[in-house]
Amino acid sequence: MKPFKLEIITPEKIFFDGETEHLIARTSEGDVGILHGHTPYVANLVSGPVKVKMEDGSFRMAAVSGGVIKVSADNTVIIASAVEWADEIDVERAKRSVEDAKRRLKENKSQREFDLAEQKLKRALNRISVAGGL
Amino acid sequence: MATANMKDVKRRIKSVESTKQITKAMELVASSKLRKAKERAEKAQPFFKSLYETMCEIAGNNAIMSQYLSKNIVKTCLVVVVAGDRGLAGGFNHNVLKLATQRIEELKSQGMTVKVLPLGKKSVEYFEKRKYDIVNPLQHIAEGMTIYKSQEIADYVIGMFKYGEIGSAELIYTTLISALSQEPVHVKMLPVQGFDNKPKDKAVSLTIYDPSPEEVFDGLIPKYLNGMIYGAIVDSFAAEQAARRTAMESASDNAGEMIDSLSLLYNRARQAQITQELTEIVSGSMKK
Repeated sequence: MKPFKLEIITPEKIFFDGETEHLIARTSEGDVGILHGHTPYVANLVSGPVKVKMEDGSFRMAAVSGGVIKVSADNTVIIASAVEWADEIDVERAKRSVEDAKRRLKENKSQREFDLAEQKLKRALNRISVAGGL
Repeated sequence: MATANMKDVKRRIKSVESTKQITKAMELVASSKLRKAKERAEKAQPFFKSLYETMCEIAGNNAIMSQYLSKNIVKTCLVVVVAGDRGLAGGFNHNVLKLATQRIEELKSQGMTVKVLPLGKKSVEYFEKRKYDIVNPLQHIAEGMTIYKSQEIADYVIGMFKYGEIGSAELIYTTLISALSQEPVHVKMLPVQGFDNKPKDKAVSLTIYDPSPEEVFDGLIPKYLNGMIYGAIVDSFAAEQAARRTAMESASDNAGEMIDSLSLLYNRARQAQITQELTEIVSGSMKK
């Protein structure tokens, strides 16, 4: 298959800048697979796994915490606030954030704080599940 | 008398010297922090640039309706004021707080209710003391600022906007123009500005938006606001360090000048004493 250009940008750095043949990302409408020559496409990403096909043919997984994917004729860009490769995730830290978020959910304050805690829980669970190779 | 005077002068020189050491150290710390803050602000640039471009493309190619774009009837404005956590930075905190107060008074005179979200210890203290309506004050956040912390602030602001507690939001912070000049600025956050709703090029709008341009646009709003807040906090921190560096540099210079004039005074007093002693010895020996 023909490779295409892929960039993954986070606020801290340009996380990935290279070529891939196949990319699978999770949007709010479901998983999408991108191959070379995809029609221009823009969608929101929800927190979930992103799979990038590496040169050796295997897929490398990364946890993405929400963002946007933009496919244009010459390249594909993923803009996300946080991305981590599955093999680099600190599972202990993710577990701690799960505990923290659950505790906050129980405190049952305002709707707003509930929403914040819920988002935090989702992000942390996503990282744990991606690290586990799901 | 001369000896007492000499002791005094010597003590003052010592005290000015130790002050100079402190200001010199603060200057060095500030300049290294300034460099780091600048780097951090630059690293985040590509992210917010491509985010902004994407939003412009969406808004430019589709006639979208968004609750974040339209004017709101709620007559409450949230003013986010970013200032420093520490003093000794020249007019840094004073300038930004002055601009904030002016802006708040202006809004009030237009019949708006104003809520303040102060960021940074100096900002929190200032608005608490003057009994403003404060929400969610945060201190000591600028130095270890991360995108997650600013996202929490952004989500908080968007939450207030969505639940109808506020109809607009503004951001006041100090921007770093150069290492020698900083300026307080004020920008509007909500409703979002700068996305003109005019479809320009039909050909580009072949892009598929999943599920719809509106949803994609609205989904990007929290990230966009986060970018503004993150950028403002990092910029303000860099400006604070630059202001402190300048202030401390001139303090060190002043201390140097003071030491010079005091040593002159000290040397004069010492010479006067020697001369006097010599005269006493000479006149004593002449009597024999």
